[in-house]
Amino acid sequence: MANLLEQLLNALALAGLLFLVSAGLSLVFGILRVVNFAHGVFYMLGAYLGFTTVALSGWFWPALVVVPPVVGVLGALLESSTLRFIYRRPPIYQLLLTFGLALILEESIRVLYGPTAKGVEPPPLLQGAIDLGGVLYPRYRLFLVVLGCTVGVAVWLFLSRTRAGLVIRAVAQNSEMADCLGADVARVRTLVFGAACALAGLGGVAAAPMTTAYLGMGINVIVDAFVVVVIGGLGSIGGSMAGSLIVGAAQTWGAFYLPETAMVIMYAVMGAILVFRPWGLFGEEE
Amino acid sequence: MRRRDFLKVAGGAAAGVSAPIYLRTAWAQGPIKIGMPAALSGSNAQYGIQARRAAELFARDIKAKGILGRPVEFIYEDTGGDPATAVRKAQKLVEKDGVKFLTGVVLSSEALAVSAKCPEWKVVFMSTINGAGALTAKAFHRYFFRVNTSGPMGARAVSLYLAESPMKRFFALGSDYAWGRDSVGSFTTQITAAKKEVVGTDFPPVGTKDFASYIAKIRQSRADGVYLALPGQDATIYLKQAHQFGLNREVKPIMEILELENMKAVGDAMVGAIGSSRYPFTVDTPKNRDFVKRFHDLHGIYPDMFDGETYEGLEWLAQVIGKAGTDDVEKVIDAWEDSSYEGLEGPFFMRKCDHQAVQPGFAVECVKDPKYPHPIPRILATYPGEKVTPKCRTEEFS
Repeated sequence: MANLLEQLLNALALAGLLFLVSAGLSLVFGILRVVNFAHGVFYMLGAYLGFTTVALSGWFWPALVVVPPVVGVLGALLESSTLRFIYRRPPIYQLLLTFGLALILEESIRVLYGPTAKGVEPPPLLQGAIDLGGVLYPRYRLFLVVLGCTVGVAVWLFLSRTRAGLVIRAVAQNSEMADCLGADVARVRTLVFGAACALAGLGGVAAAPMTTAYLGMGINVIVDAFVVVVIGGLGSIGGSMAGSLIVGAAQTWGAFYLPETAMVIMYAVMGAILVFRPWGLFGEEE
Repeated sequence: MRRRDFLKVAGGAAAGVSAPIYLRTAWAQGPIKIGMPAALSGSNAQYGIQARRAAELFARDIKAKGILGRPVEFIYEDTGGDPATAVRKAQKLVEKDGVKFLTGVVLSSEALAVSAKCPEWKVVFMSTINGAGALTAKAFHRYFFRVNTSGPMGARAVSLYLAESPMKRFFALGSDYAWGRDSVGSFTTQITAAKKEVVGTDFPPVGTKDFASYIAKIRQSRADGVYLALPGQDATIYLKQAHQFGLNREVKPIMEILELENMKAVGDAMVGAIGSSRYPFTVDTPKNRDFVKRFHDLHGIYPDMFDGETYEGLEWLAQVIGKAGTDDVEKVIDAWEDSSYEGLEGPFFMRKCDHQAVQPGFAVECVKDPKYPHPIPRILATYPGEKVTPKCRTEEFS
């Protein structure tokens, strides 16, 4: 029983982290129709900036508040200075551009921070483990579960209940029609791209105490995020949640119960989705 | 492309490739050039950067007298950690720059690829980083020299230490690729031979970012220690997370290589971990104390394993070229075989039979010391070269 609880929490904590990354990836695709290869690097940037903020201020919480907007603004600037001009070109241009941005950002981080991974301590409140009925469980992972759920609900409420959310959904559905109806599509795209990068940055700050900030963490996470988005459906926040839970569970339970096939399980689920429901669990058929 | 065009291109390329070999002899009295096709970018850049740091210090130390009175020139190339790129860059160094000595190659996969070309190029490959046992066994040839402690030698030092320790039950966690699986295999053999028990093994994929499931299993196994054959970053993440789960207190982490790079990233969560070190900078010899000081003056940090190993290699190479009285590759090889060198960590001997340097092996523990800004390796045991070096051209021990 205690063991089952631990397995459940492990899956939820990983899912929380995956959701923060994949939600932005999914949003950007839904609204900009761009597969953003640079998304993982914004996650990595979040982790490194988180490290810097903690090192400068001595506190973890400011990092969680300050870093996501910074990453978001940088993302918005990059969108409006590069990506904006090539939306009408074939998708391969956007792929190449975001891939190039990813390489430039990653190497810049390496030059600035050096090759050594940067460890970030969780805030004192979340250090150590607590006893949950016979299971010693790290407090920080419980925080990740809460953070993932909170952000998920907040993004969902924003998109479904606010006027800005309505405009975003309209652009996602038919950008030309939304343009005719007076929505500033270019601005919506920039803001959504920035918001998605901010979410990735938040994910990076949250991940740093668990995985340290290291080179390659962006590429490492983007593969999982793509799987999440394929399973859940591109452009759907609910899909990102469901996908994150499925991938989180497949990875942690797979590693525990069927170690030799842990990686296979995740891709098998993705393969099955692609065959039987190519638009994903929550996506819309096009 | 028509056949004739193809022949023209191929002929031209062949001429271009062979010509510099003649040119090279004509320029023989210029500087002695050492080529370093190292991974300076990508996820293994930390090791390439260590090799370069060592070379920078060596270049400064030797500047006044040179080798054979000739200046020494280092030429760096970035391989990104990719074997095909490493071969291409090494070929450029040999054929365009006229380098006769290659070193600083980071990954064993790159080393195997580059080393295989050296007999054809007639240049010396000096390994100061590469761990794969095969390099001095199955893949051995006359132009390859390994100055560093190999992977099997490191594993041997840890096993010798554990055989004497009170720990009885072990869990083995190795990354799911050749090095991880090989290390867990040889660890299991040696631990079983020491009448101790391996109670579980697991092979997480390279790049695992969540070790929670493995941590749960290790805890359930009630092992005394967990043997980790995880590459740098994976090890960092494992140690960090095991610490958060409170596991490091219950199950002692044992690492095939215990490096500063990890200690800096993991911090206090790593204190108590034990393992082997190819070169612990805390070795107390006069020569090493002086080296650590010079290194710290130049770079502002303490030398990691491959800073030390690469510096030793370069110094030994200079000594051997001096002894040969020429930088002629064949004569240098003859002078190097069965020669001795006083390294930073103790005496070195280059075996003629497989060009593996016989040298001391270390078991170390990660400890805190207020004199240093990060945890440091404390030496638990030193084993003489004969005990930790495998039988000639094998990966086995007698």
